[in-house]
Amino acid sequence: MQSSVVENLKIIMPIKASFTIPISMSITDLTSTKRPDSALRLKVQAMIGEQKPYNCFQCIRCTSGCPSMKMLELKPHEIVSLAKLGFIEELLTSGILWTCATCLKCKERCPQAVAPADLIFALRNLAVEKEVKVPESFLHSLSAILETGFIQKPQNTVTRKLERVNREKLGLPEFHEPDEKFKAAFFKALEQSQEE
Amino acid sequence: MRLKVAVYWGCVIPTIQYGYEMSVRAVMPKLDVELIDLNNISCCGTPVKSVNMPAALYLASRNLALAEKTGLKNLFLPCNGCYLSLSEAQHLLSHDEELKERVSTLLKEENLQYNGSTRIWHTIDLLHDLVKEEKIRKAVKHPLTGLKLAVHYGCHVLRPSTLQMVDDSEYPRKMDDLVEWLNAESTPYPEKLDCCGALLLLSHPDAAFTFSGLKMKAVQEWGADALVVSCPSCQMMFDMRQKSAAATIGAKLSIPVLYYTQLLGFVMGIETEKLGLHLNRSPVDELLRKAGLISATASP
Repeated sequence: MQSSVVENLKIIMPIKASFTIPISMSITDLTSTKRPDSALRLKVQAMIGEQKPYNCFQCIRCTSGCPSMKMLELKPHEIVSLAKLGFIEELLTSGILWTCATCLKCKERCPQAVAPADLIFALRNLAVEKEVKVPESFLHSLSAILETGFIQKPQNTVTRKLERVNREKLGLPEFHEPDEKFKAAFFKALEQSQEE
Repeated sequence: MRLKVAVYWGCVIPTIQYGYEMSVRAVMPKLDVELIDLNNISCCGTPVKSVNMPAALYLASRNLALAEKTGLKNLFLPCNGCYLSLSEAQHLLSHDEELKERVSTLLKEENLQYNGSTRIWHTIDLLHDLVKEEKIRKAVKHPLTGLKLAVHYGCHVLRPSTLQMVDDSEYPRKMDDLVEWLNAESTPYPEKLDCCGALLLLSHPDAAFTFSGLKMKAVQEWGADALVVSCPSCQMMFDMRQKSAAATIGAKLSIPVLYYTQLLGFVMGIETEKLGLHLNRSPVDELLRKAGLISATASP
């Protein structure tokens, strides 16, 4: 698998015609002296499944259907293009990665079986690993899961008549958190993936 | 014939979206589906995927392993997020030996094992393909004749079609069928596959509310009497946060939003309070009144 990736890259890399320069993304000016980082590029490719960015020929079908494009100027085809070329640091620091709503239309509709959404997940993981700024809510969920096994404990709520209710009052069975062993195992899972 | 299924509720349903849990628990036994709650479960991995993909895969596999432990073949996942996460885990573990081995080692910490023997189901395909038309039609006591309902599937049970999903990714029909089996009309609308924006809520709330607001505005303009959903995150965006969405897009929104299972329970004659319909924030009383199921004088 790994060697065929390298082979494919050798074929594709000299052809840079497909590269579009991002205009409205808040990504570092690429006319600067910044050079592509091929080691990081390979690392990102290894993180995603079989749907690799190098198959992209910039048809822009992903971006045309992207709901976050209309609202937040996310352009999946540009992310793919930059990742393909190795401008990974620029992607990690731009903040644009966190505008994806994960509707997965890009992954579904790509005629080249590239999955921009998968790439965005891999880049988010890398941003966390490199401690680049990450929206707090994501880390908050993680610490809640470490603590209780879930993103939150059962909340109190109100009816339309403003009556306060909870699971018990609604006649729902008691809610259980996973036992202590879970925490240790989950912690190990988190640590292990950091080691690689 | 009675069908026994394991049920995995996830995080969102049992901690805040009580209407979904209540309506599923009320409706399923009446359709001969017995629900067996899983023990010791945790988050499905969805919220962790952005931070750490291998840890998310571990969480999904852990819950699948716990389902296998029950010996039941069918696992019911009412939440779309959980469905995608577990479906993806099944795909990855059956296609990548190395990943499977790594996950198996972690599962051993809790004496768990993943074999991949479970079939997963979501509310939509469980009702459509296992319970089936005949039983649902038979259970209808108050047909919704004359009502126009817009259905919203939710992204994560339709895409990506490279994984096991509940229906066709571009032309889904099952939820439309489910609504039609109650004698209502399923309103065709071009925005049907649009995302609710829930996963942007915490980081980009204005954008998220524009997603949900524009979709509801469209549903309203196409003349639907209500929006029917089957995902707790979508329900949160369309029902609980309808007012925020209206304020964000600067439109008047007043569309009843409810879970399919609430609607189903309701036409089966189950009391509204047992279905959690008193918890919906959107004007569902209007819908119930239109359907002639509560009297015009009932207070909202």
